[in-house]
Amino acid sequence: MKVDIRELGQFNHLASQGAERAAESLSQLAGVQMGVEVTDVSLVTETVLAETFTDRSFVGVEVGLEGGLEGETVLAFERERAMKLQDLLMGVTDNGDAEERLAKSSVTELGNIMIGGFIDGWANHLDTAINMTPPRYTEANGPRILPDQAIEAAKKHGVFLFESKLTGMDTDLDFSLYMLPEYRQFVQLLSGNEQGNQIPVNRLSTFEQLAKEGAGNAADQIGMMTGLDTNVDVSRLRFVPLAGVPKQVGNDQFVGVVFELTGLPSGYLVVLFGEESATTIANAMMPGGGAEDEIGEMTEGAIKELGNIMTSGFIDGWANVLQTSIEHSPPNFVHDMGESIMSPVVGKLGQQQDYAFVIDSTIEIDGNKGQCDIYALPNERELARALSALPARD
Amino acid sequence: MAKRVMIADDSEFMRNLLREILEDDFEIVGEAENGVEAVDLYEEEEPDIAMMDIVMPIRDGIEATNEITNNYDDAKVIMCTSVGQEEKMKQAIKAGASGYITKPFQKPNVLNEINDVIPA
Repeated sequence: MKVDIRELGQFNHLASQGAERAAESLSQLAGVQMGVEVTDVSLVTETVLAETFTDRSFVGVEVGLEGGLEGETVLAFERERAMKLQDLLMGVTDNGDAEERLAKSSVTELGNIMIGGFIDGWANHLDTAINMTPPRYTEANGPRILPDQAIEAAKKHGVFLFESKLTGMDTDLDFSLYMLPEYRQFVQLLSGNEQGNQIPVNRLSTFEQLAKEGAGNAADQIGMMTGLDTNVDVSRLRFVPLAGVPKQVGNDQFVGVVFELTGLPSGYLVVLFGEESATTIANAMMPGGGAEDEIGEMTEGAIKELGNIMTSGFIDGWANVLQTSIEHSPPNFVHDMGESIMSPVVGKLGQQQDYAFVIDSTIEIDGNKGQCDIYALPNERELARALSALPARD
Repeated sequence: MAKRVMIADDSEFMRNLLREILEDDFEIVGEAENGVEAVDLYEEEEPDIAMMDIVMPIRDGIEATNEITNNYDDAKVIMCTSVGQEEKMKQAIKAGASGYITKPFQKPNVLNEINDVIPA
């Protein structure tokens, strides 16, 4: 079974529009201004689900989908944000002292309305009716906030996970809307036509596994060069609108290196450290421990060197499995806000494509003391070509 | 004399919200939490208008509307729902719905829709 990249882009666009409608609904009902940060879709395994949701406690509203599109949708709030939302909604109905049951009902109905808005565009696009089951209020820790069927599907063959992150404009009310369409039906919907830019669906899993191994190699290399403990916290292959990538990286200050990749696939690879993580690493790499507290020449040299080695470790696996050759440019050192670092990269890639497969890996350094984010943005068409050329394994 | 309205929605929060919107201008004759209760309540009260959610447990709002409008020629049902799908709207009209409001709504939208369906 193959997926057409254009279809995947179309469904990502529908999800993004749906999330905008969901945000408007929340704004109307609770009187808070909401924005959609980004909508991405990834084919995730059980491991990725565990990494993505682990150590977090959620309140959720779950709605099943039947008919033209089957699957599950979940609106998931971290617990304290759900409580805040309940307070806002109870204010709307002048029932500030109402019992817990009514508070839960308010969140459930909000979820119902938001998911209804999210789904409408899909139904209209598919020219069919999508039946929603009555909304169900849930509370759970970790990936258990997702429906059991989705977790089972993730174990078997992976599951497509749409995630829209919604952010309060003037209040701390961030949360995510997830949709997990039923795998086989959704792959059929993604099949497009022979003229499309198609990838066998199982190769997406292969590439995701490659990305995970690449992140593991990169983590090992940081460990070897610094003597610090490292661990891949999360690694996901996401399909995102390119324009949303800089915003997703955010406005924190980062130190890092940008590489241009040439070969099959070409693209970009960006390695970013928080400022404190960068100096910690640079100091750890110097014989005797070094002593630079701010970002100076020593840190720049160390990060460039480390970036070089990590990048090779990251992409060598791709080249070996894809049976191609991929080279990378010398490191371009960057020290700026995340958004400012990513914008030029996205600008260059955006001349050829609107969406991208982004490999997004986070490496924890020395427990929670440091962090490294790796963003790999391969050229979409070239990646599709390389993956399609792999020997069939279905 | 105030027009008589029933509310069918599985969400207590939404029933309360609708009650607050309507109770100054209408007599609320009762509330139902699912499609089966909605049909029973309609038969019991024969209200001037029924505000009907689509997605409800046991029996959905479209099926309930279909039964009500089949049994009562002059029944007026306004679908009041989070579902704004064109195909669902067609199904609601086919079931005999007289109007359709998409949640979330403001008080003027609800009153305007009711006035369109049963002019004062």
